[in-house]
Amino acid sequence: MKGTIASRERAFALWLFLPALAVLVVTTTFPLIYLGWSSVNRIDLAMPWNSGFAGAENYTKMVADPRFWNSLVLTFIYTASTVVLQVLIGLGLALLVTQIPRGQGLLRVAAIIPIVLAPVVVGLFWRTLVLAPDFGVVDFVTRALGLGSYNWLGDPQLALMSVIAIHTWQWTPFAFLVILASLAALPPDIFEAARIDRANGWRRFWYITLPLIRPAIVIVVIMRMMIALSAFAAIFAATGGGPGTATEILNLYAYRTSFTELNFGYGAALAMVLLAITLLVSFVMFRLRRAQ
Amino acid sequence: MKGRSVASASLIAVAGVVLTLWTFPVLWALLTSFKTERDVLAYPPTLVFSPTLANYRDVLFGATTILPNLISSFIVSVLATALTMLIAVPAAYSLARLDLPAKRAGGFYILATQMLPPVGLVIPYFLVLQKVGWLDSYKGLVLIYLTFSLPFAIWLLVSYFEDIPREMEEAALIDRAGRLRALLYVILPQVRGGIAVTVVFVFLNAWNEFLFAVVLGGNTVRPVTVAMFNFISVEQTLWAKLAAAAIIAMAPVILLGLIAQRHIVKGLTVGAVKGGGRR
Repeated sequence: MKGTIASRERAFALWLFLPALAVLVVTTTFPLIYLGWSSVNRIDLAMPWNSGFAGAENYTKMVADPRFWNSLVLTFIYTASTVVLQVLIGLGLALLVTQIPRGQGLLRVAAIIPIVLAPVVVGLFWRTLVLAPDFGVVDFVTRALGLGSYNWLGDPQLALMSVIAIHTWQWTPFAFLVILASLAALPPDIFEAARIDRANGWRRFWYITLPLIRPAIVIVVIMRMMIALSAFAAIFAATGGGPGTATEILNLYAYRTSFTELNFGYGAALAMVLLAITLLVSFVMFRLRRAQ
Repeated sequence: MKGRSVASASLIAVAGVVLTLWTFPVLWALLTSFKTERDVLAYPPTLVFSPTLANYRDVLFGATTILPNLISSFIVSVLATALTMLIAVPAAYSLARLDLPAKRAGGFYILATQMLPPVGLVIPYFLVLQKVGWLDSYKGLVLIYLTFSLPFAIWLLVSYFEDIPREMEEAALIDRAGRLRALLYVILPQVRGGIAVTVVFVFLNAWNEFLFAVVLGGNTVRPVTVAMFNFISVEQTLWAKLAAAAIIAMAPVILLGLIAQRHIVKGLTVGAVKGGGRR
């Protein structure tokens, strides 16, 4: 009798879970298999007569493609710098804000605004109101300070820096909120004890606070890396990957190859590389977290 | 004593600067949306101008109306949210509370699907939907929206289901209520707060989505995030109209974000507790 109850329990659990599993297999795993298949095919809608199985052709082409290596380097710079900036600024701010006796709530509310905005709208805001030459606010400030006028998104030297700034602007509040919540959850008596032991501010931070909030920082790093690797809309809106290929991270290169140049086989191969990088990073991160 | 007040004054100054930075683009856009195109291009940027509602009128009811796009966004987001919740609630309950075979593997699979780069999904979707004639359709867009909303919703809901005291459901079972009835009448009312928060986030993410919408949408299904580009062309940028359209498009998500304010940290770190994941 007992066995049947247990097995009925298990069947019930399965029936509740199966629809989600089925939908996810159909909507994510199957498309990825198709992506893999596309990447070993020639699918060029500009030259449809050329289609067919291509073997490793798209991949060997990639190795010799300077634009691919450029996008890889940009992806690395973009991901590393945005994550580091978000964590450092977010952590610094959270530590500062805990010292403020009042008005914390106001900052917490303000932090939500960048986070909830659509990245594409953020990109457009920055492209027009903030960074546009002559009319943007930043240009007004630099001119007023006598630094001159810059084409922040149109100059290849500045464009990468600008899109990094945009991403950092939108997502630092995330790091700030998560770290702030983690700081708020720390037991106050630890700090009392440290104060009695006459540990100074820096030592208190390094030996007590930081180890305690490390899990929160790790979470922020992992999640922000994933988001930065798949960042698209804000860059697309601000620069479209340009000027030239100055802000063309791998994501944008795969998009442009597929949907502008209509070379879906090569675009799929590029997306496969991005997929591999993402999975590798999440695997390593997962291992690191487990080791902690 | 004096050093202390200087320190706290500079703290407040830093906080003030940050506050300005975070709210500035939205406030500036709000201001711009009430300007005429001529006032927008004034140099230096002016704070004194006679405000006009003409941009809002044009953007809502004029030649450059985004009303159809708002409707598109609304339909896609509502359909995606409803479908997501319908599938995610039972799955999350099963993962959180029931004796599900291969539970760890199942949970891990869902977490993994959450990390897929969107561009890797949109390419096969485009190729397949084109073949079956589902481009520029609600069903195609809703289908691909499930790829990010479903894993997210499941993991967020799991964290809420885990908070319910076990005695609750045991009591319901002793009453011979039956598994499904226990879920519907005892468990679900307990997590309605969590369900509401999940609905808010799923809707918000769907509303803000851009890559899938721009590739798989078209003239019929054209969400408002895509329509923002109506106001930008090589020849000219309609600044004030763009600002008005963006304010209208973003008003719902800002409102939802402020309503769900206290839950936002939990919503943002979902899945991470279990070992990493994406928003």
